[in-house]
Order: sequence, then C-alpha cells, then structure tokens
Amino acid sequence: MVRVAVTGLGPVSSIGIGAPAFAGALRAGRSGISHITSFDPAGFPHQNAGEVHAFDPGAHLRRLDPATWGRSSQFAAGAARLAVEDGRLDLSTVDPGRAHAVIGTTSGESQVVEALTAQIVGGGFGAQDPGLLRQLPANRLANAVSEELGLCGESLTLATACSASNYALGYAYDLLVSGEADVVLAGGADSVCRWAHAGFFRLGALAGTSCAPFDRNRSGILTGEGGAVLLLETFEHARRRDARILAEVLGYGLNCDANHPVSPDERSIAECMRTAHRNADVKPDEVDYICAHGTGTPANDLVEGRAILEVFGPEPPPVSSIKSMIGHTMGAACGFGAIASVLAIDQGFLPPTVNWSEADPELPGIDPVPNTARPADVRVAQNDGFAFGGNNAIVMLGAVR
Amino acid sequence: MSGVAITGWSAITSAGVGAEPLAVGVPVPQDVRAMFDDPLPVPSARALPGFDVRTLLGRKGTSSFDRATALAVVCCREALRSSPVDLDAGPHARTGVVLGTSLGSFKSTSDYSRETLVQERPYLVNPVLFPNTVMNGAAGQVAIRFGLRGVNATIAGGPLAFLNAVRYARNVLDRGYADTMVAGAVEEFTPHRAWAVQLAGEPDTAPAGEAAAFFVLSRTADGGSGARILSVATGYGPGGTMPAGTALTSCVGRALRQAGADSSAVGAVVTGSAHPDDDREYGPAVRALGHHPEHVPARRLLGDCGAATGAAALAVVLAGPALPAARPLVLLTGRGADGAVGAAIVEGSGDERPDRG
Repeated sequence: MVRVAVTGLGPVSSIGIGAPAFAGALRAGRSGISHITSFDPAGFPHQNAGEVHAFDPGAHLRRLDPATWGRSSQFAAGAARLAVEDGRLDLSTVDPGRAHAVIGTTSGESQVVEALTAQIVGGGFGAQDPGLLRQLPANRLANAVSEELGLCGESLTLATACSASNYALGYAYDLLVSGEADVVLAGGADSVCRWAHAGFFRLGALAGTSCAPFDRNRSGILTGEGGAVLLLETFEHARRRDARILAEVLGYGLNCDANHPVSPDERSIAECMRTAHRNADVKPDEVDYICAHGTGTPANDLVEGRAILEVFGPEPPPVSSIKSMIGHTMGAACGFGAIASVLAIDQGFLPPTVNWSEADPELPGIDPVPNTARPADVRVAQNDGFAFGGNNAIVMLGAVR
Repeated sequence: MSGVAITGWSAITSAGVGAEPLAVGVPVPQDVRAMFDDPLPVPSARALPGFDVRTLLGRKGTSSFDRATALAVVCCREALRSSPVDLDAGPHARTGVVLGTSLGSFKSTSDYSRETLVQERPYLVNPVLFPNTVMNGAAGQVAIRFGLRGVNATIAGGPLAFLNAVRYARNVLDRGYADTMVAGAVEEFTPHRAWAVQLAGEPDTAPAGEAAAFFVLSRTADGGSGARILSVATGYGPGGTMPAGTALTSCVGRALRQAGADSSAVGAVVTGSAHPDDDREYGPAVRALGHHPEHVPARRLLGDCGAATGAAALAVVLAGPALPAARPLVLLTGRGADGAVGAAIVEGSGDERPDRG
C-alpha cells in the first residue's frame, strides 16, 4: 500500500513566514493580530485582524509576476515555494506530470473583488480595470502554484470555504495513494477582506480585540489571512531522494451536514470524525492531539467540543486552537492546522490556545492547552475543519512508524 | 467496465429548463434588458430571463438564493429526478455533490462588498445573504434541499471547472467515499459577469451567457441513461501558450488510454472555443487523435457560460442525435486563460451505441 509522507512545510502567516519562524511562534504562543491596514476599518466597531504584514511577494516568488496575480494567489505560490525549499526538493528531479497543485480557499481573490467593486461604485461597470478582472477567477490560486513551480499535473482549486485546505490535503492524499502522483503541493490561501469582516460582524460572530477559543466568555472570530502549503510525497519518492519525513498523512473524512448554511451540526461533525478515523484506520484512544477548528464563536466551540466528547468519551486528548494566534484564515485555516499538527508530531509539543482565561462549564473534560505550549509525544493528530455549507473535513496525521 | 455511468442528467440553458428544450432546439439569445436595474453591455444574451426559482421551487427556503444557487438547485433536482435516486427517501448519506464554478457569484460578493462602501455604516450588510459570498453556498443549498450528506465539494475551475468536477467525482467514487455523485457546474448571467466578459474577454470571445448542467454519476449503471464518462484527465502547462497546448495534447492522450479507446472512435470534439476555426483546443486535440473529427465550439453554442460551458455542452451533445456507430465517442476539452487544460471521453446513449459490456 502506498503511504503518504509530509516532507516540507510552507506557512506564510501573521506569526511567521517559513516553518522555523512559524514553529517558534506557536511554541511561544505569539499573537499575529493587529489593527487592520489592508482596508480602512473606520466605522467598524471592531478593527483587528490577522494580517500578514511581512509577506514580500517579490522576495518569495521566482516565476510569477506579482503585478498580474492577486494576493491570495501570491500567498498560495509563496507558501508552495517555501514548502519545496523546506523539503529540500530539487524540482528538476521530479517528473512534472506527476507533480500536482491542490489549493483550498474560501473567497479566492477577495481583495480583487473589492478593488473592482470600488471601481464600479466610483465609475460604473465600464470603469473596471481589465487587468484586475483577469486576476479574478479563483482557479488561479492553484494555477499560481503550478506556474510558480513548473508543475504539469492537476491544478485544482477547492472552494469549500473554511475546511477547503483539508479537502485539498485529502484529494492530494488520494492522488498519491492511487498512483497518480509522486509529489503534491497541497494547502490553502485567503486574504483579509472588508466584506467578510462586515459579514461576520453582522452574524454576531466577530470578536472585539482578541480571539479566545474554548474560553467561557469567547465572543467570536477574528478574520485572518495567509497561505499554508504542505509538500506531500509517496514514501517511495521521499526515501529515494533521502528526504526527511516529518509525518504521515493517515487518511481523511468528509461529509456534509445538509442542514443549515452557517450553523454547525454536532451529529454530523461527530460522524465526520468517525469517518476520518475509519478511513485512517485510527481508534479514538490512539489520537494524542486535536488541532481544533476552534473558531472562537460560542456555537462552533460548543458543537465541536461536544462532538469530541461524544466520539472520544469524557477524557479526550488535548484540543487546541491556533486561531487564537492567527485568527480565522478561512481557506488556509486547515492548512495552518495541518502544519501545526505536523510540527507537534515532529517536534513534540502541543500548540497552545492563547487568550484563554476561564473554562467553559458546558465543555467538561476539554483541555485547550491554555496559553502555554506543552511538551508532548504526539503519535497521531486530528486536524478539524468545518465550514459554511456544512462542508466538514478532517485529516488524520501520524508520526512515522 | 471503464469510467462512470451517467444515471441521470439535466441542464438549464437559454433554451429552457431540462433536457427536453435542448432536444428540440438550440439555446438562442434572449432579450435581457429587463433583467436588472444595472446597465448591461449587451441587449441580448444566451440567458433565461424568465427563470424564476419561486415558481419552480416555492418560496420556502429560496428567498436568500442568488441566481447561481437557484440555477444549481433547480438543475440538480431535475437531474436527480431523472436518475434512480429517490428524492423522497432521504437523507442520502452516500450521495454527494461536486459543483464547478469560476468564483461563485461575482454579483453576490461584489454587491456585499458594495454595501460596506455605500451604507451609512460599513457593517450594515444583510447577514442572511452572507453565505452567498462564499463559493460553496450553492453546493451547500443543493445538499440541504435534497438531504445529500455525502462528500460535498465546490471547485473553482473556470473553463476547466466541469472537467475538474468530473475528475473529483470519479475519485470519490473510485475511493468508495460515496456511491453517487451529482457533478456539474453553474454560472449565472448578471451585469457583473456580462461586463467582465465584455471588458476582459479575448477579442474573439462570445458574450456572457448562463447555464447549469448536472450529471448523476455512479460506478454502476442501474437504471442509467446509457451514457458514460469513460475517462477524464486534467493537467497544467506552465510557461505560456505552447506548453499549455502540449499539456492538452498529453491530456487527450491520457484520456484515450484510460478509456481504452481507439482515437478513431472519436466522432466529435467539443471545445470551449467561440469559433470553429479557433485552434487553441481543437489543434492540440487533433495532434493526439491523428484525425479531424467534427469540431463543436461550445461558447458559440451557449455563449460564455464560464465554468458551466463544458457541462452545458455535454448536455447539448447528450440531447442531440447519437453519433454514428463507428465513431460513437465524444472528446470534451477545456483550456484556461493560464495553463490549465483537461479532456474527457464520453460515450453517448442511443440506439447506435455499441455494447461495451
């Protein structure tokens, strides 16, 4: 049976660009939340987000011209480039037809939509810049990775909102185990945008200044952005080039609530966990860490926590949310969760849930790894992702046996 | 048996809702001037101005639908009704959806963004409409409407979206994650899309149209339409026009091999082109085939239906007369503005269809 190795990590995040910086920030429990600068937040009651200020596309991209690609595509390509460098993969040794790009997203080139909308408001539909319109299609996120790295395999953008990069990792896993691929760059990307900030605020789901998942007084999400891409290979390919295998993708599970456009569904989420365990041949008591979807809204964390208690019993493994540090990076969120899970496995620590002060009495037994990272031997990690549309996706990662 | 069976399908084009209008006529341009308050760059388009989701589905649960969502939900209902799936027997844990798009609804997202600019306070947006700004809104509503709890995916593929969706569905079925997948694509006609095509399309482009087409796919053909998607292959040609053409030739070759088909059995090539003499897809396809079958340029038939062009073109082919027995296969190709390419081999139903066992 083909096994799937994680051999490189490419985080472009508000707490660090590149695996060493990102890992250090997770260990330190650093916050990447700051006052919004990518749009004018004047008039919004809440004005914080997890923007990536330090990303310099010119420094990270070798082939793409940043002038002709939107910010989310640049995040995806930059993160993929970093993952290849982290994995020390010499692309000239790879069969390009067996190297694929699979990228998840929630809102694609949202900042391009917003720039065009400002042009429509200012001067009518005819005033839109054709160059910007050509940056609009969301398929460009995966295409940017293929173009930047010279990959000839599939170039697929999965637009399943906030679980999209788990969908991407899952599809990448399938490409590898079914013999279609030697190498897949998989993850997700999204950009902070005004309309999502407004929409989450009006849903009553936006926190004021900081995000405090699993805290009794949690008040919601903060929007975030970035690119998170993992380099996946078959074990055979990784071993042939003597690559360092950081972790193994064990399998994944997907399902759909088919119930409500935005409210999470406990029964369905629990079922998705069981499906992921079954597909990965993992038993609940073998799971050492759950990298939570953990958005910090009262509803998500309650539903996710209850589903965990239902599946794992009264003493589940530690459950932390890195969204407390980087905000909700939407289509990149599960990619960052997967990178954090791989680092947990490879480096032996649990990323903390920062901003935590008081246990939620409705979630007895949930250990959110409060505020401080903790040393731990993580053999199996569960990376949760849920989304609008009821698109649940969970990826299981393991230490190399 | 190679490929997946099409056990039901439906389409919405400017010809109307369902398969029947396509069997009796081709989609023609309609007068679209009364569709929107906003100005349009064209007075007519291959759109369906009379499409009204409330008439077709009722008021309940549809008031928040944008046009793309409404087209997708109605089209999936018609496709499922024509298939062995019993819609009254839900929920369906092993039936899923994969929906192709370009960026969801450009109108829904842009209108939402607009509200943040023109309202007295920037947060005075309508929370009920927020899910429409997310690209998976339509597929989520399809799942809710029909109780489809299996794998639910949305793929942003633009001109490749339908081939991407079929490829994704095929993987889900091959891996055993679901038994039935409703795969297709949707694109709405709106001022936003009409202007985008007008301003940023290629010089020889077709004006924007709208369409949805969905195909109920399964590994087994019980109660099927007789049509099958024998194979699908997608790829990317980095570095410009030449590599993309080469990548498309390679995809067609792979699709033929996967299908176990002789290239001489291909009787028609359905491309995303707007003109029969546009060689961007047909040329690379012919290089793989070694002969010149009939070229069916889909955007000429349907207008620029973005992600749905290929899906609707397949519907037109399936609704039309069967190809001759000696050349029963259809090659469907796609090519994006960057380097994305793809190809599928489809075997139609019909009396002249050879028995492939």
